[in-house]
Amino acid sequence: MKKLLQLAPLALAVAAGSASAQSTEDTLARMQQQLDAMQQQVNSAKNDSVRFNGFFSTGVARASNDAGYAGITETTSVNDLSLIALQGTFDVTEKSQAVLQLVGRGADDWEPQIEWAYLSHRPTNNLQLRAGKMRIPFFMYSDSLEVGYSQPWARPPQSVYGPIAITSYVGADATYNFNFDDSSLTVNAFTGFTDEDGTTGEVQLRNIGGVNLTWTDYVWTLRAVAATAEADIDATRLKALVPPTITVNSVLADGERGNFYGIGASYDDGSWQIISEVTRVELDGKFADTDSAYLSIGHRFGSWTPYIAAGWTESKDEDERKGLFINIPSQGVVVPESILNYQRTDYSVGTRWDITPGVAIKADITHVRGLDKGYANLNTQYMLSNDTSSTNVYTIKLDSAF
Amino acid sequence: MKKLSLIFAASLLVSPLAMADVVVIGHSAGPDSITENQVRDLYLNRSNQLPDGQKATPFEMAGGDPVRAQFHDKVTGRNDAQLKAFWSKQVFTGRGQPPAEVGSAAAMKAQVSSTPGSIGYIDEADVDSSVKVILTP
Repeated sequence: MKKLLQLAPLALAVAAGSASAQSTEDTLARMQQQLDAMQQQVNSAKNDSVRFNGFFSTGVARASNDAGYAGITETTSVNDLSLIALQGTFDVTEKSQAVLQLVGRGADDWEPQIEWAYLSHRPTNNLQLRAGKMRIPFFMYSDSLEVGYSQPWARPPQSVYGPIAITSYVGADATYNFNFDDSSLTVNAFTGFTDEDGTTGEVQLRNIGGVNLTWTDYVWTLRAVAATAEADIDATRLKALVPPTITVNSVLADGERGNFYGIGASYDDGSWQIISEVTRVELDGKFADTDSAYLSIGHRFGSWTPYIAAGWTESKDEDERKGLFINIPSQGVVVPESILNYQRTDYSVGTRWDITPGVAIKADITHVRGLDKGYANLNTQYMLSNDTSSTNVYTIKLDSAF
Repeated sequence: MKKLSLIFAASLLVSPLAMADVVVIGHSAGPDSITENQVRDLYLNRSNQLPDGQKATPFEMAGGDPVRAQFHDKVTGRNDAQLKAFWSKQVFTGRGQPPAEVGSAAAMKAQVSSTPGSIGYIDEADVDSSVKVILTP
């Protein structure tokens, strides 16, 4: 039926001539009735209870050396920036929904992973309860972390988004919306656990509890988040640097309490797009406590949105990492704990180009300094054997949503 | 097929040659008026209620339509690419789905007149007795 309606304008061109001749009021009235009847049929046939959406990204990135900032090296392949996701939204009842999002990443040989799988229920207009697997809402862009199309950059600022390896959790949350005349306040509380193979190794967070508040007048958005959890972190990637016969204590956290705090602000008046986030991670033991921040400024010129961004990450508890991680002088493997430090700044310049609604291309150059002050989240093997303090990362990316 | 083409021929007859102002239309049983901010909130997923409290069902013209561009220029201040980016964020964060799209002013009137709680927009020249104008932005 819908196809016929779409085809109709074609037929119209042929039929218009003869039809206009007999355009009496009677005919019009009769046709209006027919149209109404057809519309009723269209409405009743339309199945709104299941909807599918998806997003897709691909691109190439290359770095000036193998330091591995954001996982990019001199030989990064197209697959590493490629992903495709399909999301199904199923209306269970008038007030309940099931949402399932599958993401296949080139880097994982396109094996689909479940990123969202939750049931949501809206008992009232302003309250939403969810349970299942969801994004852990540490950052302003956590919810749409991999939806490149909804972000201004080629990748979320690594200064803030990089040190946190955890992206999802299994649990429940409650969201309440206070709507005012020209603004709204959203209060969200979440709890659950997570067990992920992060960038540095196995990370487990138990008894997560957190709150985030978002206020917006639709130009300004202000956000604050605080979360706490018991953490188990095993730096299995570091362990892999030595032969398996040698025992290395790679446990960075064993049930210690970790805290996360973040504040964010954004301004978007349709032309200027200014975004900033400041975050703090605290965890007793060898795992680095970090303070991070970034500021990004973009401006829309028609379909082009160029931006500049600067970011900074610093570890605050260097005195907890004075020893040696691995000490086997006989084999020439001596790895100090200080490699887990962060003292980094990065500068990005790039642009987003909206080719057509639903498709955007981004180009980005990021310069990073201070890599020699700590190798956290970098290619440790390369950093241990090279004297590298900076890297340049060049990225071209295509993001789409459909 | 012939009936369909006749219907569309009819809709063409009432179409204006030049574009007049866009008007916001509602179902006959809905509220008689609405503010521009309320319309904006309905089209930007900030609210899903009409001023009289009933559940709102907004309809959009398809992307690229000049009336759609005029409506969003006046009411939401967003162009098609910005709307697409906005809705992709809403959809993939589970916050909501964009309004259903229709392909013509006739289809818009048919949807709005047959869906309780609905709201839409058409060119002023396309208004007829099947729908009522609730705002001229």
